Amino acid sequence: MNALDTLPKNLLAAHKKYGERKIAMRQKDRGIWRAHTWTDSYNQVRDLCLGLISLGLQRGDKVCIIGDNDPQYFWAQLAIQAGGGVAVGIFTDSNPPEIQYIISHSDSVFVFAKDQEQCDKLLEIRTQIPDVKRVIYWDDKGLWSYDEPWLIDYQELQRIGQELRMETPDQFESTLLQGKGDDLAIFCYTSGTTGEPKGAMISHVNLIAGSDSAQLADPRLDSDEYLSFLPPAWITENVLGLTQHLRSGMVVNFPEAPETVQENIREIAPHALLFSARLWENLVSLVQVKISETNLANRLLYKIFLPVGYKIAALRYEERRPIDLFWRLLNALGEAALFRPLRDKLGLVRVKSAYSSGAALNPQVIRFFRAIGVNIKQLYGSTEAQVHTLHIGDDVRFETVGVPSPGQQVKIAENSEILISGGTVFQGYYKNREATLQALIIDEQNRRWFRTGDAGHLSEGGHLIYLDRVKEMITLASGEKYSPQYLEGQLKFSPYIRDVMTIGGEDKPYVAALINIDFENVGRWAEKRGLSYTTFVDLSQKTETYSMIRQDVERVNRGLPGPARIQKFVLLHKEFDADEGELTRTRKLRRNLLYQRYQTIIDAMYSEAESVYVRAAVRYRDGREGVVETTVRIESMDAEVIAA
Amino acid sequence: MTSNNHHLEVENVFLSFGGIQALNDVSFAATKGEILAIIGPNGAGKTSLLNCLNNFYHPDAGRILFENYDLTRLPAYRIARIGIARTFQQTALYTGLSTLDNLMAARHIHMRSGMLRCLVYWGAAHKEDIAHRAVVEEIIDFLEIEHIRKAIVGALPHGLRKRVELGRAMALEPRLLLLDEPMTGMNQEEKEDMARFILDINERSNTTILLIEHDMGLVMDIAERIIVLDFGSKIAEGTPEEIRHDQAVINAYLGKASLQ
Repeated sequence: MNALDTLPKNLLAAHKKYGERKIAMRQKDRGIWRAHTWTDSYNQVRDLCLGLISLGLQRGDKVCIIGDNDPQYFWAQLAIQAGGGVAVGIFTDSNPPEIQYIISHSDSVFVFAKDQEQCDKLLEIRTQIPDVKRVIYWDDKGLWSYDEPWLIDYQELQRIGQELRMETPDQFESTLLQGKGDDLAIFCYTSGTTGEPKGAMISHVNLIAGSDSAQLADPRLDSDEYLSFLPPAWITENVLGLTQHLRSGMVVNFPEAPETVQENIREIAPHALLFSARLWENLVSLVQVKISETNLANRLLYKIFLPVGYKIAALRYEERRPIDLFWRLLNALGEAALFRPLRDKLGLVRVKSAYSSGAALNPQVIRFFRAIGVNIKQLYGSTEAQVHTLHIGDDVRFETVGVPSPGQQVKIAENSEILISGGTVFQGYYKNREATLQALIIDEQNRRWFRTGDAGHLSEGGHLIYLDRVKEMITLASGEKYSPQYLEGQLKFSPYIRDVMTIGGEDKPYVAALINIDFENVGRWAEKRGLSYTTFVDLSQKTETYSMIRQDVERVNRGLPGPARIQKFVLLHKEFDADEGELTRTRKLRRNLLYQRYQTIIDAMYSEAESVYVRAAVRYRDGREGVVETTVRIESMDAEVIAA
Repeated sequence: MTSNNHHLEVENVFLSFGGIQALNDVSFAATKGEILAIIGPNGAGKTSLLNCLNNFYHPDAGRILFENYDLTRLPAYRIARIGIARTFQQTALYTGLSTLDNLMAARHIHMRSGMLRCLVYWGAAHKEDIAHRAVVEEIIDFLEIEHIRKAIVGALPHGLRKRVELGRAMALEPRLLLLDEPMTGMNQEEKEDMARFILDINERSNTTILLIEHDMGLVMDIAERIIVLDFGSKIAEGTPEEIRHDQAVINAYLGKASLQ
């Protein structure tokens, strides 16, 4: 037996190790979870692979797959790879021209298509994809009456494969063992925002390196349950789903239908979950809505114990202090009365690893889940280099996307671009030499670096801070880059800050910020402290308010390199107002207009002044116009914070 | 008994409510496995005709033959047993029950176990329940309603309720399916899904389908033949292409405008 350097070789090894004794996959079908053992998986793949070979599959051929998360998808992919082919995943919602582009560009010779919907799309573009020999479908609903030999049933392909196996029983295993780690395993077409999609070529060792890295950061056991619901055409499902499944032996569960994912998560209660930031946020609002609709007793429990959860979470993760017996006792009660039932409803009862990808997750959301006992971690990656960084263990920081995944190297280029090196870095874009040369850098030590196009920097402790796309960055007077959106987003994570506009650029010596306090939250905060205030203007200009907001600015500054840190800020005497055209209706800043309106204050922040007198016309809701006259304080951050 | 291989034959049916002649000498026939559409302006008698077909109304005169039965002589409760199922304009489901329970309830006519056995729920009764559940699960899969299996029907949106009602009709395993405006109140995507389900049911089990629908584009797409009613009388019958160009239909149904 040679090294386990391809996915099919790992399947063979797992089949020999577990055989009929262990479940490999499960899918809910006709209302029942149906299990497949490792031997079953292996046999499925064997017959499919021999069927493809019978129909003319050659080593190096490309085969497209378009379908939902089903065992058949994984088997088809492994069968293609066992025969020496490359699997090209296509997203199920692609339209016929998009499908045609990927099939033609990848030179695919077969297509696996789940059902009637996908087969109909392929029939529509049939004349444009003459190289496709056959289309294989695995859900025959509605296809019974199609009199079209170009389409064949999955089971028919397996029957053809079984015939070949009768003649040459050893062919499958010997073909499988011919595979090499450097062979291409999959193409992932990235949806380019500009131009045609590019096909990232990923080799078997790339996938295995990604899986092994994940295994070091956060081990999966063969007793773990996993639910496959991320699009299988996406790199993430290939690494953390299929490859991890083969390497660790974890059970992969497939949802009954795309619409039942939430319900199936609850039934399976998987050990690992990856959601987009948006989905985590939606879950919080879902809980809040459901709680408000439930009976009085439940609402009471929620009211009593959620604050306990918050308190414990703050002690454990933020203040990192020991928790005394009293709070532990309360927490145990909360666990039984609220946290566990809530986690059960959300399918989070067994979750060991909960990840968020995509946009930065709001700390409020992270705090909520911590309170009910789920520590969500950020994960940052790309198609071309898989998982770049992630939070490992309890070392979760709101402002970062974590530390480099084991085996990955992260470097920041001069233009602030994040570069990634390691075993996961892809082999280039198929038939696109120009884009490949742009994306890959080879250094003196012959290491390959992937240029992410993202800007960021490394903070103390080796955590990576993701800022923005490089092209969205603004250059400061010092030559450093900074991202207004990132800075403002980070500040707005504070419940006391409603809106922010940061100012900075080549013509400004440092970064400054105009901050709108959140009147409601700051007001409540003031009442708790027995601070009296009259109006928004009064509250915003209190010394106490300034020193509280200052802490938020310091927190954000700590995660930033010196020149990008905020040096001065003001708490504005009024809120940005959409009615006055300062914001769009979706509450995005109208920067140019704000610049003009607050010119005096901005100028003062770049002078020695400690306050500025403002006299501004305001329009009240009822249409009356008035004048506000006040003095706005300018807060300077300490020099030692700014330096460093 | 029907003649000439006709699955369903309607012969000279008259129906009146007081002075209103709802159906006036209507005759037509459907062959086994056909999709037949009935169209006509509001009040033309379409639903009345369907009500006669499932014995909800009794015609004043005329005969309705289905397979070996004369429907006009059968009591209404026998209709489902001899293989006729229908859906309604306004969905008529058990709104307090789940999708699954609604479909299981429809399997009742196929159940053999008596009350006592069902109470014990052991042996044959248990086995039978499982077998019926399997049939219902096939239908749930077929209609792609897995995600609302356990949902209470009353809380479902209209489009899904229509689908559940179609599922309940399918659970009766009918040989003749009567659909009264299955696509009203649906958006374009839901309509297309429904059209696909209707075609698939017809194709899979060779079910004869009689359908009333207002969306002309869809009727023209899925029906093999169309019958046009106006003021209780049949004014035309033919393929979609023929109906499209029939002058009487154009005048009666669509005013003077063309069907294009």
